[in-house]
Amino acid sequence: MDRFVALLMGFLSVVLVNNFVFTKFLGTCPYLGVSGRMDRAFGMGLAVTFVTALSGTLTWMVDAWVLTPLHLEITRYICYIVIIAGAVQLVEMYVRKFFPSLYEAFGIFLPLISTNCVILGICLFLDVWGTNSLLEAVVISTGTGIGFTVAICIMAAIREELALADVPEALQGAPITLITAGLLTLAFMGFAGMIK
Amino acid sequence: MMNGIWEYWNIGILACWNMGVLGTGGAPHATQHSTIPSFHASVLPLWSSAWPAGLTMLGLALAFAIVLLVASERLKVHVDPQIEQIYGALPHVECGACGFPGCGQYAKAVHKDAQLLGRCAPGGSAVAARIATILNIQLSGSGAPVRPIVRCRSHTEDRTFYAAYLGIASCTAANALSNAQACKFGCLDFGDCVRACKFGALRIVAGLSTVNYRKCTGCGACAKACPRNLIAMVPFHHDPMMTVGCNSNENGKTTRAMCQVGCIGCGLCAKQSNAFTVENNLARLDYAKYEPSGQNEAACNKCPTGAIVYRGVGAPAPRPAKARPAASSAASAPSTS
Repeated sequence: MDRFVALLMGFLSVVLVNNFVFTKFLGTCPYLGVSGRMDRAFGMGLAVTFVTALSGTLTWMVDAWVLTPLHLEITRYICYIVIIAGAVQLVEMYVRKFFPSLYEAFGIFLPLISTNCVILGICLFLDVWGTNSLLEAVVISTGTGIGFTVAICIMAAIREELALADVPEALQGAPITLITAGLLTLAFMGFAGMIK
Repeated sequence: MMNGIWEYWNIGILACWNMGVLGTGGAPHATQHSTIPSFHASVLPLWSSAWPAGLTMLGLALAFAIVLLVASERLKVHVDPQIEQIYGALPHVECGACGFPGCGQYAKAVHKDAQLLGRCAPGGSAVAARIATILNIQLSGSGAPVRPIVRCRSHTEDRTFYAAYLGIASCTAANALSNAQACKFGCLDFGDCVRACKFGALRIVAGLSTVNYRKCTGCGACAKACPRNLIAMVPFHHDPMMTVGCNSNENGKTTRAMCQVGCIGCGLCAKQSNAFTVENNLARLDYAKYEPSGQNEAACNKCPTGAIVYRGVGAPAPRPAKARPAASSAASAPSTS
């Protein structure tokens, strides 16, 4: 039971309290770039969730079972990047095969998931946070992706409303988007300290 | 660990460097002898600690190579190279004039059904011809480029207003009001068409929507945007094209009261040229029959209100509202005075 609670807390922590977009400012590129429409934002969120879950888990396994026993922690970055790039390639092929319209909507942002800092971020943070079981790694890396999805979907919903709002001319487009992002971050700062 | 490898690496480099320099330096044996042990001592540990790293990465890369190889076979999407070629030939302005959401979708559709050829308005006949070459089919008479004509020529000073319209600044809103201006047919000048144009080819000139035919691609977005259906998409067999710059079905007297340059349906033009017909108090030019002839020229000049005008890249300026019709049918061009 304690273990379950710990996992749940870890999950909530990365979704709300330590949300990568809001508190670590990682992954802001797709967060601002693909959040114009809800459906695309949700698709992007799911794709990122899949990649974070897959690469977070794989990197934890490689790190814990191969790199640490062999004292090869120095090669972490290279190994992680290989794993992330492979996972993104896999996602790209899958989306292209089964969701062609989504594939066209994403355009360049789909292969760019491989350079999304959220993903390398979670792989490295798993080690920083001292994640010591596979289950924990799976839960936390999935939670990171879901946190990203939450962030990008909130942003997309606000921006859909913004498109109909009477925004002053000087603030139209990127400025109002950035202001919105800042306010959202402030709102999510309210969760800070709730879960250690 | 990091320090360890770094140290070995440095020593190794140093050792090599020493050997090289001293070896060519000329005093060989004694010095070389002293460097050899340190060379062995540094390179071998370097090698022995480096190979697991290399092997791990090789294994990792190999594993992913296999997984991706299998995936690329399993998840293969067959894209016809012709579709990519067609997509490359399209102008990529994503205007939607073809009836598809974007150029990518049109490329797919036209590849499947060649009947859809020639739908690309911005590309025109040049793109249609290129696609036809890609699809290896013969293109029959690609036709003249289609361009919009605003069927109104009255500027603000030519019109009559009952009251000042202070409502929402859009044609659609103004059109909902029966008397935003006296004429129920003419241009409302709030620029719905200007906002619809993706190419900046339209602007309001003294209260009249005016097409810049150099920028126009013929996508037809303006024609759809106009709430009064004032903009006609016309195949420009000749440029400039002649047109009746009025859309009013009111009788002559009413039209004259509302607008100084409206068509009063007198039928003088139809007497001069058989390209013109008068119906519902409104003269119409059959664009297919139009050609730059003396008869059409005469019809234009005889028009008592000057409603017949030229539109196009090299269009001469229309006759001012107050000017009298030219006396003789032999006048070469519509008066620009």
